[in-house]
Amino acid sequence: MGRKVLIDKAHIEGIRFYDVYRKNGGYASVEKAFKTSPADVVEEVKKSGLRGRGGAGFPTGMKWSFIAKPEGVPRHLVCNADESEPGTFKDRYLMEFLPHLLIEGLIVSSYALGSNATYIYIRGEYAWIVDILEQAIAEAKNNGWLGKNILGTGFDCEIYVHRGAGAYICGEETALIESLEGKRGNPRIKPPFPAVKGAWDRPTVVNNVETLAAVVPIINLGGEEYAKIGIGKSTGTKLISACGNIKKQGVYEIDMTISVEEFIYSDEYCGGIANGKRLKACIPGGSSVPILPANLLLKTAKGDTRMMTYESLSDGGFTTGSMMGSGGFIVLDEDQCVVRNTYTFARFYRHESCGQCSPCREGTGWMEKILKNIENGKGKISDIDLLWDIQRKIEGNTICPLGDAAAWPVAAAIRHFRDEFEWHVKNPSECLQRNYGLAHYADPRPVAVPA
Amino acid sequence: MVKFSDEKLKKVDEIVARYPAGKQKSALLPVLHLAQDEFGGWLSAESMDYVASLLHLEPIEVYEVATFYSMYNLKPVGKYMFEVCQTGPCMINGCDDIIKYISDTLGIKPGETTADGLFSLKTVECLGACGYAPMMQLGKTFREHLTKEKIDGIIAECRRNAN
Ligand SMILES: Cc1cc2nc3c(=O)[nH]c(=O)nc-3n(C[C@H](O)[C@H](O)[C@H](O)COP(=O)(O)O)c2cc1C
Ligand code: SF4
Ligand code: FES
Repeated sequence: MGRKVLIDKAHIEGIRFYDVYRKNGGYASVEKAFKTSPADVVEEVKKSGLRGRGGAGFPTGMKWSFIAKPEGVPRHLVCNADESEPGTFKDRYLMEFLPHLLIEGLIVSSYALGSNATYIYIRGEYAWIVDILEQAIAEAKNNGWLGKNILGTGFDCEIYVHRGAGAYICGEETALIESLEGKRGNPRIKPPFPAVKGAWDRPTVVNNVETLAAVVPIINLGGEEYAKIGIGKSTGTKLISACGNIKKQGVYEIDMTISVEEFIYSDEYCGGIANGKRLKACIPGGSSVPILPANLLLKTAKGDTRMMTYESLSDGGFTTGSMMGSGGFIVLDEDQCVVRNTYTFARFYRHESCGQCSPCREGTGWMEKILKNIENGKGKISDIDLLWDIQRKIEGNTICPLGDAAAWPVAAAIRHFRDEFEWHVKNPSECLQRNYGLAHYADPRPVAVPA
Repeated sequence: MVKFSDEKLKKVDEIVARYPAGKQKSALLPVLHLAQDEFGGWLSAESMDYVASLLHLEPIEVYEVATFYSMYNLKPVGKYMFEVCQTGPCMINGCDDIIKYISDTLGIKPGETTADGLFSLKTVECLGACGYAPMMQLGKTFREHLTKEKIDGIIAECRRNAN
């Protein structure tokens, strides 16, 4: 059994409520943190090696140490609960079943950063979770963990839930800040970074739900102890939301020591491919990370076992690797069509582009249209090259990374599944009747031996 | 004339108080949600102007925001809106069949509302329920692991509740 430090208590009856949560050791990290200084808490988080769980994997302790502290200007912590990357539904699990774990993490993190007003920006569709969080906040406040002069420390803190209204782009931290200010979710040009000039021009740190919840076990165990879980720079545990053609879809906490194969096939996790089918492909970290065929997913190009760690998932770079991303693990079996899947992602990004930069605004629309044509047997071979060309012109040429996020899935699909795209073009009527199937995507690859 | 009840006006004050003094524009998204819930499930120009006056904003500031976010309805919608997710993971799990089934059963296409004003069908992008697909949003709730039988049940439930 892998080590669990985040959602190990999720199944305790009534854990959603304060009394049960507290009886099971809840809020101990606040008591412990308050006995030390805010700088000590930042130091503990640095030692833990915790990397942001929202997708980019930036070291959290380092991010916290960048926050500007101009005299007399309030600072803010904002929790990113926008969770809109297709394949990702882990933050929802945390908030729904363990709301107090997030609140506890927010209190400790607010103390570390000096935030007296902390906001949870939650996607608008999670409407019922707003009620769960607000109830947990009220309970925490009634029990003296929020409000003025908490536990006699002189530290004041309030937590507010701010509900979005349907826009994936508001997960990008500067768009999120705009949205928190009551504006359209148009990302800002950086610099200035939020750590210097964020919400209402005040120094602001934006962190993912899971990142802030992980601060609780970090303080309880101590940063060094936490860092012992996992391999190398992939410290601690990670929530993976697994979906697609697996036997057991759901949210799993892994300590980052297991292989991708074990994650997919063992009964502790996904339980294997559903309906006795074979694995064709997988998008291991949310819709924007590169898709990998089965034979590159389980083993790297060098022939090593691929592990569920930041480093191993990205081994091979974009040519033969992928990314941990947000932990949205999407599995495709032999019956799935990569062209169709890529088309739905392209449609998603076109829908979610904020429209500020022309490569993203126009390019996502073109990609969607071309992919729809290929999917429906109306494509040309030159369309495949055109797609490649468009994605390259988007990548790196936009204000925010949504442009890249839209380009990467298309690039990886063509890179690894070009023959499936060509089959669609060459078999315009057959491709409407059946899918390309598994083809050679699970065949062992020749291992590149250095000369 | 649209107008919030005294209770809702208190709620507006409470929302405004969450943000720094003078930054009441920050309350715009939550207050628009409130207005949509109170004034018939959509935002008319009149509702938006009312919200603008409450928050001391120019009406254009409110229109700009209302048109950006997909959850604000700028036209009347059915009493029950079936918002079915159609992104990759839901597609893998058969959302296309579910959308077609709803469409056939209610006699409306995505984007349309039934003549009695009871139901609207809308296709949406990933709602964060990919592991429980196919799924749809109905009001404040998610309906997950959808099957044709479940859809029949939900339609019957809505008809019962409408009376
Ligand atoms: C288009 C786009 C969407 C994003 N969506 C989310 C999201 O839903 N949740 C999230 O935590 N981070 C999201 N991010 C990453 C945030 O910008 C930011 O890096 C993150 O919240 C930082 O938190 P972390 O360091 O704890 O991961 C998104 C980024 C981009 C470019
Ligand atoms: S890359 Fe796309 S989403 Fe990001 S700012 Fe530009 S247009 Fe908007
Ligand atoms: S793809 Fe439908 S909920 Fe995520």
